[in-house]
Amino acid sequence: MSRPPEAPPRRIAILGNPNAGKSTLFNALTGLRQKVGNYPGVTVEKKTGMIDLPSGRRAEVVDLPGSYSLQPASPDEMIVRDVLLGLQSDTPPPDLIVFVVDATNLDRHMYLALQVVELGRPMLLVLNMMDAAAALSMRIDTVALERQLGVPVVGISAAKGEGLDALRAMMDRDVEPSTRHFREWPAHLMRVIDRLERRLPERADLPQRARRDVAVAMLLDRGEDDALARHVPADALQDARMLAHRLDEFSPNWRSGDVTGRYDAISALVAESVSAPPGERRDTRSEAIDRVLTHRVWGPIIFVVLMGAVFQSVFAWAQPLMDLIDWAVSAVGSMLGQAMPPGALRSLLVDGVIAGVGTTLTFVPQIAILFLFLSLLEDSGYMARAAFIMDRVMAKVGLSGRSFIPLLSSFACAIPGIMATRSIDNRRDRITTIMIAPFMSCSARLPVYALIIGAFVPNRWVGFLTLPGITLFAMYFIGIVAAVAVAWALKRTVLRGGPPLYVMELPPYRRPSLRSVLTTVRERSLLFTRNAGTVILLITVVLWFLASYPKGSEAVRAIEAQRVAALQAGDTAQARALELRVAGTNLEQSFAGRAGRFIEPAIAPLGFDWRIGIGLITSLAAREVMVATMATVFNIGSADEDVHPLRQSLRDAVDTRTGLKAYTPLTGLSLMVFYVLACQCMSTLAVVRRETNSWRWPIFMLVMMNSLAWLASFAVYQGGRALGYGG
Amino acid sequence: MAAHGSGERSLDAMTVGERGIIASLDCEPTIARRLMELGLTPGTVVELIRRAPLGDPLEITVRGVHLWLRRSEASRIDVSPA
Ligand SMILES: Nc1nc2c(ncn2[C@@H]2O[C@H](COP(=O)(O)OP(=O)(O)OP(=O)(O)O)[C@@H](O)[C@H]2O)c(=O)[nH]1
Repeated sequence: MSRPPEAPPRRIAILGNPNAGKSTLFNALTGLRQKVGNYPGVTVEKKTGMIDLPSGRRAEVVDLPGSYSLQPASPDEMIVRDVLLGLQSDTPPPDLIVFVVDATNLDRHMYLALQVVELGRPMLLVLNMMDAAAALSMRIDTVALERQLGVPVVGISAAKGEGLDALRAMMDRDVEPSTRHFREWPAHLMRVIDRLERRLPERADLPQRARRDVAVAMLLDRGEDDALARHVPADALQDARMLAHRLDEFSPNWRSGDVTGRYDAISALVAESVSAPPGERRDTRSEAIDRVLTHRVWGPIIFVVLMGAVFQSVFAWAQPLMDLIDWAVSAVGSMLGQAMPPGALRSLLVDGVIAGVGTTLTFVPQIAILFLFLSLLEDSGYMARAAFIMDRVMAKVGLSGRSFIPLLSSFACAIPGIMATRSIDNRRDRITTIMIAPFMSCSARLPVYALIIGAFVPNRWVGFLTLPGITLFAMYFIGIVAAVAVAWALKRTVLRGGPPLYVMELPPYRRPSLRSVLTTVRERSLLFTRNAGTVILLITVVLWFLASYPKGSEAVRAIEAQRVAALQAGDTAQARALELRVAGTNLEQSFAGRAGRFIEPAIAPLGFDWRIGIGLITSLAAREVMVATMATVFNIGSADEDVHPLRQSLRDAVDTRTGLKAYTPLTGLSLMVFYVLACQCMSTLAVVRRETNSWRWPIFMLVMMNSLAWLASFAVYQGGRALGYGG
Repeated sequence: MAAHGSGERSLDAMTVGERGIIASLDCEPTIARRLMELGLTPGTVVELIRRAPLGDPLEITVRGVHLWLRRSEASRIDVSPA
């Protein structure tokens, strides 16, 4: 294997309909030599991998998102079109297109294949799932297909690894592009397209051979095609819209003439090259499964049970792993603590950096376990059925069935939930789902609810329920109501758009491949640790600084002196109590403590004093940090082992100015409502930033949720007082 | 729905298990084009497989592919008897 080191890698793009088996093929070709990133400016994921071709030449393979058409209907499809036409500046058009089709379903998969053949680019047609075709006794004449299409054809089975060597050999060769066309534009349409083509400027970002396709896209665009707007002057687009309008009056079906043309060509193609046993080809196994899984009665029941099981597993399996990570992180922390002299550097490493790494890592088990289930559901084909069952419910808030599972996942943690919104193809629906996901009460809120309910809600029976139980349920319910309201409002304002089309393929049930499931799990976990993890680490360090500095005020030194005196007198209990007071006073006088006092006027109308203010600020690291912060503020050390003293302290806390009780049950209620609605989780914001590829949405989320939280808590507290529940 | 000639009615009005031939799509033009790209071209056979447990959406099969779509779209697709 000797090759000139400077030979540029061959650029190869894998393309096809969703469920053609592109990812399976991509994984089989590249192994784990993959890179996942984003196309700039959009939320579409870019997967690339390097392979060695048989000649020793290297190739960079891009796995393009699954698409149905080169006339894009989603951000994913827009990227595919842009890459193929050479409009995507970061991804030059491929030297070779590897087009993957499901051999058992050429009727539908060939539609996009014909569009791509018509582009006149070097291309291979890969008939995947030949094993399944053989099982159906189908025979496909690849020579006839090659003749009709003008491109090389190869049959493989990506899942079984069959035919990959032949494919690799073909990927190494230079391929003549096809010159075939499968539809004729009528003369009057041709004239319009020519005219638009001439309107296009001579620009480097508009390759010569793409101009005709761009002109067609302009004619079919209804103002939703962002990429066109980037490449084509506005007046030319205006022109196109006017011409389209005139065509509408003159020949109403002009928009779809080429579609019928291609499908007619496909019928002829399939008739000549595919021989299947007589009678209808039906996937009787999938149909039998569907008779149960989407049954009017059994369908929803199985769905609920399945979702319950997934949800429970995320909760139950993640917890021990999270505890393990916590344990390991604090072990590392205390080892380092012993090895290093006390001081600022030790504190930075132990309480800042290691704590930040710990926070990031504790999310990983939930992400990994959730994506384990999600990719099992997705790859088996069940996901589309779940969306089918839930669509009606989600339609009521202007979303579709695809939003259900991400939202359900958010009850465990919004972070994997938001990451799961990738399966939503409609951009506006996806953003809406991301924006409402953090309203689902996640598991990090539970310790806060538990603390406050324990402190302020009497354990009384109401009918067959207890008051604490009802309160907890109410918190979940308030979150859901807020989510519905916000979704409704967003879909009518900033995320309003043309009439959406909700249509989804129900793929045949297939046994998921362990390898591809594990690849997904690994990819999601790595992506989170790498991208969101750095932001989380940074924020933890900043918060550590705010909560630790400035140090050693007069007051602290005085208590410290008392502590030393008590220690010398042998009064260890007193010394311990004073040590806790040192920690409390330190926090109080830190930047975070001062910020707590500073924001007090803003939160006083909600019933919160500066001590809760400090808790709100440190909650930014993670909501459950609130509990530990309150324990420090009230000088009771760790609340980990026993939360009772902290509950008592909250009940007994005194407002130093009035001498009255600082907190009442109404304060508790107001605080819980605040925690339901407020956006306090920096990790969520980091993930939203990554998933939407902009700062706009995380900032919007922060402002929107916190305003809502303030208003709701204000209403609860002031309303409650007006009704006489203040005391 | 307007009166249809020669036994035409909307896809939405078919009974489960019934087949028909797509006659026309009366949707918004981009939606109509998209549905046709997914295989619902006039002259194609469709079968209504089932309705979702809550009555909407509908599962159909066309060109060997199972799809679900909402009634709001299905009601604008006219089919004639197979
Ligand atoms: N029988 C059989 N099944 C296969 C083969 N290749 C892939 N599959 C299965 O087909 C399903 C879809 O494969 P994917 O690789 O996820 O398809 P994709 O084209 O990447 O789909 P999207 O990610 O939705 O775009 C999976 O359940 C695979 O296990 C094959 O050669 N034979």
